[in-house]
Amino acid sequence: MVNYLIVLFAVTLVYFASAERLVIYVKLIGLQGLLLCGIALFELKEVNTANLVFIMAETLVFKAFLMPYLLTGIIGSSGVMKVHRQAMPGFYLLLFSILALLSSVILANALENPFVNTIYMVIALYSLFTGLLLIVTHRLIISHLIGFLILENAVFIFSLAMGSKMPMLINVGILLDIFVGVLILGFFGLRLRPNTNELTRLKD
Amino acid sequence: MTGFVLILIAASFFPGVIVRTKNIASGRRGPGILQPVREIGILLKKGSVFSNTSGIIFQIAPVITLSCIICALLVIPFGNQNALISFDGDFIFFSYLLALGKFFAIIAALDTGSSFEGMGANREVFFSMLVEPAFFILLATFAMFTGYTSFSDIFSNFFITGSHYVFIYSIIGFFLFIQTAMIENSRLPVDDPKTHLELTMIHEVMILDNSGFDKAMIHIGSYLKFAVYGALIYNVIVPAGWNIFLQAALFLAVQVTFAVIIGLIESFRARNKMNKNPKFILSLSAIALISFVIVLIITDKLI
Repeated sequence: MVNYLIVLFAVTLVYFASAERLVIYVKLIGLQGLLLCGIALFELKEVNTANLVFIMAETLVFKAFLMPYLLTGIIGSSGVMKVHRQAMPGFYLLLFSILALLSSVILANALENPFVNTIYMVIALYSLFTGLLLIVTHRLIISHLIGFLILENAVFIFSLAMGSKMPMLINVGILLDIFVGVLILGFFGLRLRPNTNELTRLKD
Repeated sequence: MTGFVLILIAASFFPGVIVRTKNIASGRRGPGILQPVREIGILLKKGSVFSNTSGIIFQIAPVITLSCIICALLVIPFGNQNALISFDGDFIFFSYLLALGKFFAIIAALDTGSSFEGMGANREVFFSMLVEPAFFILLATFAMFTGYTSFSDIFSNFFITGSHYVFIYSIIGFFLFIQTAMIENSRLPVDDPKTHLELTMIHEVMILDNSGFDKAMIHIGSYLKFAVYGALIYNVIVPAGWNIFLQAALFLAVQVTFAVIIGLIESFRARNKMNKNPKFILSLSAIALISFVIVLIITDKLI
């Protein structure tokens, strides 16, 4: 079952590279949260029950519902519905995404870590590269935020892959969640404009 | 031989089921399921008209295209029965036979000297080029998964590998074969066969100059191609070892379902903008690549 969830997670990453509407990004972030919750349920069998319940509650509440809710609010208040037209065309982004997947396979193969499941390693690296690609190729700060969320999901998958041996890594993943949460709340509460280009028009 | 006959039967009602589904979805009565076959009968009785600017290529291309497709369907197996032609690497033979047929259709379109047909040929070859990696990566995945490199061996061993990943490959194969069939046959969301404006056409604009007998050849080729992809879909979702009569019934059921899916897609989905098509097709390659990476991992080819 966990394999199906991992494959679906990888497919969401491909969809990230090809989607152009921010609402789709938000839905995908929510779906990734649900998938990570399912993966955590199946994978973290050696962690004690209280810790597992906490991790699942955190992924379900925070990643699957709270984040998409806050992001929808930011998109609604900013009125920006589509990825900026000055962002890299989707075709090239998808091409880079495919290259990122190949690079992830090569890197995961080169690392040869016996303690980490290779499939987790590949998907985590692919997720990491996809997040970075979104941040580098898009111009809107909200895309950067979503890119950061994907990066954070990559760290979470790394932590799940090694969770049984290194429970501290899971805590690092959750700390990142909290950090991103504060960041998003900052945008939500302060109503910052998502388009940083407008700052260039400021005059003193 | 059973598979070959079943594909021919499926091809005869396939376009009719698509049209019937579209009619029901839009609340119209519509013609019978065999109406496209009757239309082909009418076209076959007519002669062909050739423009003065076109040459021999234009005259022979429809027949070559159809023969390539008929040869390609000889390598498609049915259930446990081997295909009429089966050898190692026959999926490459299959793919390049279809490509050869398409190549002749494209140079025939260029041969007419019409700028519209050249434009259509340009688009069609570009989309075919983009969908080719997805098809090959998917079949390479199947080959690696089962350990065989011919269609007959791949599909007869597909469900007896004992791996629990088989359902993932079934789903991915089902999805990618449907999308590849839609692109190869120039259907929605990449192309709309009912479009009336030459500037937005892809496949239809390429065959504007064909008439009568030649046009019948092109239509038969298109229907056969659908049935061939339907047979591939059948092979990845139905285990090969079942009773032959049950398999034949399921084969026809899968073909009808495939045609209904196409009819529903064409009824409820809009066509992509032309500049969005490359991205859409490339995303299929990305999905195929994910499945390939997984098969590399489960067969211990990595590390």
